[in-house]
Amino acid sequence: MEDSPQPVVGRVRPGPAVDATDVLHLDMDSFFVAVEVIADPSLAHRPVVVGGTGPRSVVSSASYEARVYGVASGMPIGEARRRCPGLVVVPGRHAEYEKTSERLVGICREVTPVVEPISIDEAFLDVSGAHQLFGDSLTIATNLRQRVQDELGLACAIGVGRTKLVAKLGSKAAKPRVQPDGFRPGAGVIVVLPADELSFLHAHAVRAVPGIGPATAERLRRIGVTSVGDLALVGRSRLVAMFGVAHGSTLADLAAGRDDRRVVTDRVVRSIGHEQTFDRDDHDLGSLQSKARELAVSVAARCRARRVAARTISVKVRFADFETIDRSRSLDRPVATAAEIAEVAVDLLASLDLARGVRLLGVSVSHLAESDGEQAVQLGLFGPAAPGAPVRGGDVETAADEIRRRFGPDAITSVAAAGRRAARARRRPGREAR
Amino acid sequence: MKFRTERDGLLEALVTAGRVSAARVGAGLGAQNVRLTLRGDQLEVVGSDPDLVIEVACVVNGEQDGAVLMPSRLATDIIRSFDPGIVSVEANDQEARVISGRAEFVVRTPIGAEITRLAVAESKKITLPAALFAEGLQQVVRAALNDDTRAPQLTGVLMIAVDNGIRLVATDSYRLAFRDLKGVNALEPGSEVLVPARALAEIQRLIGAEGEKEHDAKLVFCHTELDAVFEVHDVCLTTRLLKGPFPDYQRLLPPSYPNMFRVGREELAAAIRRVRLMMRDAKEAATPVRVSFEADGAGLTVLTAESGRADERVDGQFSGEELVVAFNPNYLLDGVEAIRAEIVILEVIDSSKPATIRGEGEDDYRYLLMPVRVS
Repeated sequence: MEDSPQPVVGRVRPGPAVDATDVLHLDMDSFFVAVEVIADPSLAHRPVVVGGTGPRSVVSSASYEARVYGVASGMPIGEARRRCPGLVVVPGRHAEYEKTSERLVGICREVTPVVEPISIDEAFLDVSGAHQLFGDSLTIATNLRQRVQDELGLACAIGVGRTKLVAKLGSKAAKPRVQPDGFRPGAGVIVVLPADELSFLHAHAVRAVPGIGPATAERLRRIGVTSVGDLALVGRSRLVAMFGVAHGSTLADLAAGRDDRRVVTDRVVRSIGHEQTFDRDDHDLGSLQSKARELAVSVAARCRARRVAARTISVKVRFADFETIDRSRSLDRPVATAAEIAEVAVDLLASLDLARGVRLLGVSVSHLAESDGEQAVQLGLFGPAAPGAPVRGGDVETAADEIRRRFGPDAITSVAAAGRRAARARRRPGREAR
Repeated sequence: MKFRTERDGLLEALVTAGRVSAARVGAGLGAQNVRLTLRGDQLEVVGSDPDLVIEVACVVNGEQDGAVLMPSRLATDIIRSFDPGIVSVEANDQEARVISGRAEFVVRTPIGAEITRLAVAESKKITLPAALFAEGLQQVVRAALNDDTRAPQLTGVLMIAVDNGIRLVATDSYRLAFRDLKGVNALEPGSEVLVPARALAEIQRLIGAEGEKEHDAKLVFCHTELDAVFEVHDVCLTTRLLKGPFPDYQRLLPPSYPNMFRVGREELAAAIRRVRLMMRDAKEAATPVRVSFEADGAGLTVLTAESGRADERVDGQFSGEELVVAFNPNYLLDGVEAIRAEIVILEVIDSSKPATIRGEGEDDYRYLLMPVRVS
């Protein structure tokens, strides 16, 4: 790796000011845990996780001391405790994290107005207009990281690059490194110069790239592609033939370092989802489908509250053995009713083999379009029963939303969901079905 | 195999046969290849995927009979890159040598690939007037469903025998178009076939290309239970048929309409094209065009929270009760553009029932579309 051209993984590249590297990706280190350590300094330097207390709760954030033991986000608390005997589990305080997150965004906005928070502990910044005031991108990133440390007492990693993809991979590379014998501090800030961009990208495993999921990675592996460099050798036409026009072109663009996504300030919500972890694994398609219908009701209500409609509907299934898969389908028109969302979710579930048992089910929608303060529903010629025709349930559901708002969440439900609630109540004597 | 020929003829054959593979990527190895077979001076170029086969015949200067498989895209790109003039092709089992001027390509034959052939039983061939058939396709194929994930049967066009001819019907469940072709007796009385719209779009293209050369072009058609074959000049297209059931569309036709708007086709189409500019995403059904019908015309409005609004008035004669109906502008425009007559009749019932578009004095074509409900 020391041969030229040198990949910049894991080291700061002190370079001249290159205006093209204007995208910063800031990612907090173990955010929830770090906030808890400030509240209780005795937690410092100890293996700590933030997570729930239920029988099936999972780790939502882990300190680097815990990660050394193999503890990771998304892992059940029980498993984390097995791996790391002295583990301290702290319940999460989301209100606190959100307050800190707002302060973080505030600091970022003092550097540049073009800040795009992408989650509670991550943000993209476009600093193209900030060089006059604050210097080149490396200086801006280094100072920003120092300010976050000074004002919030929290560590973060910042990746700097020409595109969002490179910046994001850069911040990942700037993180502390976890090894079995401990962890080493990371570079903190990494600038990927345009000239080094391709070698930097190509050194990554395809699986490390946001947007390449396990299914895609596995299909690529079967044709001998494991790194982004391998991917670059596969022609665009072949990728399109394998993955379809949209996904195939995205992969080809990615391998070529092409990423046209801009940093946008008014980030609209990209997806709306609800998920549920079950106390006991569910093996039954019918039962999971009615759970999916319930989730669809919540998702649809949030869509309508935000006045958006969705073109893509996804289900997420985590099996008893923790393998997690996502299945999604895009429609040719946006939908915002539970019936329409549930119809697709139920159909997607039916295509899966659920025999292993399901511990978590999620329903989400994405590719959201604003419904412009009104809902426009393309009516179908054949009514709801016909193949592919839209379900005209919009009015019913808007009315149901209103009833729930006035009389409580359980005041009204669909027959399918009610059947499931009754069954659930039967299993638990002493609780009446509503 | 060895032959010499003019670049242009060979290129046309490769492009036509290659459209099979271009139309559906990922349909298997064979779909990316074309097969060239030479017998005497007859060269046959075949492109195929599991559902569609296009065979193109052309005359070349044959020197040695034989056959070769070539990657479709590469072969086409090579021939296209040559200057007009003589191209010579020589092939054996491993490779094809393509020479023109001072350029020489040696293209390896794809390994393990084969060209699918649909086995079609012999059946009665019927000759149809190609131009009329293409006109019907041009009016109907547009209403078929594009993607086949929702309802595969809606990606087809129903050809059904009617009195003294056939009717073509297509619907994507939001709009429906049908056209009667009088005197086109392609089917036995009482019979029907469901042909993939994708294959018919190719037929339409082929007839269009041939039609420029000859006005009375003929289309030869035959079908079995499973497949249909269309022949236009030197091109033979074989397609699998889709399985129904096709929706019962006849019950959708309203017996009468209380409101009727009579308007110039081009004026209405131009206005829709203009106000449609305000749609952020051309596919976005969520941005409807509101049509307010009044006695002496109609107002078209597209309103978006993000981009702003567009209004345009179109003069016309309206009889009935003044009302506002919202449509997907693309669906509406598709219907208006399908009309041949200068005057379009747009009939509506109310804001949630199907509207109809037809040409004045044309009873053989109807385009039904459902409104968009705005709430």
